[in-house]
Amino acid sequence: MTSNRARRIAKEIADIKADTLSQIFVEMAGNGEDLTHLRGNFRGPPDTPYEGGNYFVDIRIPSDYPFRPPVMKFETKIWHPNVSSQTGAICLDTLSSQWSPVLTIKSALISLQSLLSTPEPKDPQDAEVAHMLIRNPAEFDHVARDWAVRFAGAPKKEIAEGSGGATAETIKRKAQESKAKEEKNKLAAYHGYNKDLIDRFVAMGFDVEAVVAAFEYVGIDRMGGEDYELEEAYMGDVTARLFGEA
Amino acid sequence: MKVTIQEWKAVAAWRWDMPDDDVCGICRNPYDSTCSKCKYPGDDCPLLLGECNHSFHMHCIFSWLRQESAQEKCPMCRQPFKSKNQEAAAADSTPQAIEANTSPA
Repeated sequence: MTSNRARRIAKEIADIKADTLSQIFVEMAGNGEDLTHLRGNFRGPPDTPYEGGNYFVDIRIPSDYPFRPPVMKFETKIWHPNVSSQTGAICLDTLSSQWSPVLTIKSALISLQSLLSTPEPKDPQDAEVAHMLIRNPAEFDHVARDWAVRFAGAPKKEIAEGSGGATAETIKRKAQESKAKEEKNKLAAYHGYNKDLIDRFVAMGFDVEAVVAAFEYVGIDRMGGEDYELEEAYMGDVTARLFGEA
Repeated sequence: MKVTIQEWKAVAAWRWDMPDDDVCGICRNPYDSTCSKCKYPGDDCPLLLGECNHSFHMHCIFSWLRQESAQEKCPMCRQPFKSKNQEAAAADSTPQAIEANTSPA
């Protein structure tokens, strides 16, 4: 029984070694002759934060292989919603419920490689990572790239400009730029009125634009953008305008 | 020149009517060889052709279908696996008969 399984595994390893095109590698994990404990590795796919990284996968072959899937987990730390950032455990249907005995160690490793190109945050292994990918894709790219550089040996600078991948630096700069722009837009919405002055009305449950429009309609003095106490009559006019509009 | 044959021994070879280089997708052994549990190819370790036209060593596909995770589906196409020919599974006939049974139409 074990020798039959060993024969297929040995054949698979030979197949992988003979195939230099796919850039998938496998070797025995220990220094011994244990065919049931292997280590695979492949490159992070292009146009992803993992580009240029080298990812190692721990492979355990169960005793009833190929009727049960090989047990795989990432040895290289990786920031990906379907891989645990702590343990490297992988959530992939072809390695569990959708396994078929015609699949191989090589095809499983190729599936893992393509999982890196197509993260599935709706079926996460790592909830924190998945949450970040959904809420803040730019930050996700940044952390995933940072981990690829730190743990998978990906180059710090992008190999080719405009290849679609983004370095930690460009992502950071973009984030800062968009943040500054957002602040500027926010202030512009106040039309020169003091922010605190307007915000006291906003706090009552109106939006900035409506309050500024009411101020302009009533003809409130901008006082050079200084904060000051509005006279009661003006307060009444502004509030009436706001409620009148609503 | 006249030759008189005094004695002769007939030797025959057989093979399944399958493409030359094909292996069973489950055990990865050639169809003409056995599944990973058998010693002698032929009658003792026949092939089984599904209605989906995917074939395996009978012992291999049965081992798979016994697994709960198989859900009785063909490992290749995930269609429900049904043997195309019940006689082949019975393995009661000569190699020729099985050959005829398992050859693709």
